[in-house]
Amino acid sequence: MTSEYAKPEEFGLADLLCCAAAREVQDNEIVFAGTGLPMVAIMLAQKTHAPNLKLIFEAGTLDGRPPQIPTSVGDARCEMGASRASGLNDAFSIAQRGYVDLGFLGGAEVDEYGNVNTTCIGDYLNPELRLTGSGGNPDINSFAKRTVFIMVHEKRRFTPRVSYITSPGWRVKKWPEGEFVHRRELYGSAYRGGPSAVISTAGVFRFDDETGRIYLDTCHPGKSPEEIREMCHFDLDISRVSGETLPPTREELHLIHEVLDPEQIFIPKVKPA
Amino acid sequence: MGNSKRITLQQAAEIIKDGSSLTFSGFTIWRRPFAIIYELIRQHRKGLHLIEVNGGPQTEFLVGAGCVDIWESCWVGHELYGKYGANLSRKVGSKEILVEDYSHAEMLFRFTAAASGAPYAVTQTSLGTDIHNPEYDTLGRAGLRDGKRFPKQKYVFSHDPFFDAGPQVLVPAAKVDVAVMCVQQVGEEGTVRVSGQYYSDPEAARAADITIVMAEEIVPEEYLRREADRNTITSFEVDHIVEVPFGAHPTGMFGRYDVDGAFLKDFYGKTRTQEGFDAFAKEWIYGQDHMSYLEKLGWPRMLNLKANTAVNYSTSVKRGA
Repeated sequence: MTSEYAKPEEFGLADLLCCAAAREVQDNEIVFAGTGLPMVAIMLAQKTHAPNLKLIFEAGTLDGRPPQIPTSVGDARCEMGASRASGLNDAFSIAQRGYVDLGFLGGAEVDEYGNVNTTCIGDYLNPELRLTGSGGNPDINSFAKRTVFIMVHEKRRFTPRVSYITSPGWRVKKWPEGEFVHRRELYGSAYRGGPSAVISTAGVFRFDDETGRIYLDTCHPGKSPEEIREMCHFDLDISRVSGETLPPTREELHLIHEVLDPEQIFIPKVKPA
Repeated sequence: MGNSKRITLQQAAEIIKDGSSLTFSGFTIWRRPFAIIYELIRQHRKGLHLIEVNGGPQTEFLVGAGCVDIWESCWVGHELYGKYGANLSRKVGSKEILVEDYSHAEMLFRFTAAASGAPYAVTQTSLGTDIHNPEYDTLGRAGLRDGKRFPKQKYVFSHDPFFDAGPQVLVPAAKVDVAVMCVQQVGEEGTVRVSGQYYSDPEAARAADITIVMAEEIVPEEYLRREADRNTITSFEVDHIVEVPFGAHPTGMFGRYDVDGAFLKDFYGKTRTQEGFDAFAKEWIYGQDHMSYLEKLGWPRMLNLKANTAVNYSTSVKRGA
């Protein structure tokens, strides 16, 4: 139980992603949590460097402090300890009002401007595969000041053009023509920010303040920048790499596996050989 | 009791006609009115138009059984227990169903508009996305936008005329024929008390022309009226009530029972093919009624899901790996 970093054989990829996600949270922020690994990450931040963060579950729990991890945001486990348990009208109105600092989201595909697809693979009108649909992904991404995407890294998922823009990145489509413009142009006074990071199973990516273009920030242990560039269909900027993604600390691993997710619902335990 | 709102499960399903537009209580895998969903499937309902704030297993059962022609919503899946809606996905591919995509907040605001008698809602969500791609107006492409049952347009772009806040999206009210709710308690006169998160239930119930409430228990109306501030839906907004214990299974209910994750996982696994769905429906739906369904599930399974009354969720159910 110390703050020293764990050795490579002591943690798995899910641990690394969870800790990288937790480190995106700052104290006192209002954070919108989706189902899955982000819940563990946010609660990890709550128990380490961000004890005053406020958690919102999309289904209607406001300022939640669940003693047991919920398996989805509609879960009966969300309410206990919360400031209020209400409904979606509150959750989305609060978000549209501008309260939300950070949201964690997922995606099947991402392009170099942070546009994300969770709707379909292939032509929308004749899809190869219909996926879940948007859920609250575009809403959180429209309303929050920052969003962080957690994704499986496969080459086909890091594409110059997503099949369908479900969730708005930095350069988005202006209708009716569909030409790409900076999101500032479209959102008017509702403009608050946009995607700030993508945490994939290969590395952590960020977006240029001016151009909104993605670049590689850190590589997960064992991956080189060149290797990660090869894992993208677009030309990934690797000129700004700041180093390796920090591994979990022993304290973080203890919190994840003994306190937050002992049932291994979202994060499997790695048994040292 | 000439004015009794009590009906049977079978009568509840009969109120929903072929071609009706329909919405439900709950959120993804929580508090979905399954006993009525199963009864609709047994009665071979056709041509339903589902308008849902978000979808879930109830969507997947109705779509798999061929009851649904149109689905307007934003999401379908089984959360942790199945990553997408395999029946819907297959039928989108084979063009057996029309899907109209909105965002989650857009769907919610569409219901708030309908629930307040407004023709549309205004929002600043999802600007710049393909949700607003004019080519992707499914109901328009199908020639259904008659301005009566279907709004004339999917959405309209506008500008803030009051404070110059910039672009806005107007989305049409979600007008639905029937809302089917699944809650913990309803009074004999229709007052509803939801415990835990109430999701978008108040909006769904108020938006619909007919509201059917299926409850774990029908309780004396005066019991609910002793603490009116704890109630969720007004007596006169509810047209029919039906008592169905464990009626949300396999979805969960705050304070009563957890989600049956193993059941949903098994269902999702089998819905990769139509044959798989049909076999599942044959085993669990056709030829059954609610009591025989519960009997088939059995006491040990249901007791394991039963919520601990101090914490409102099951402390015995196995959730993880």
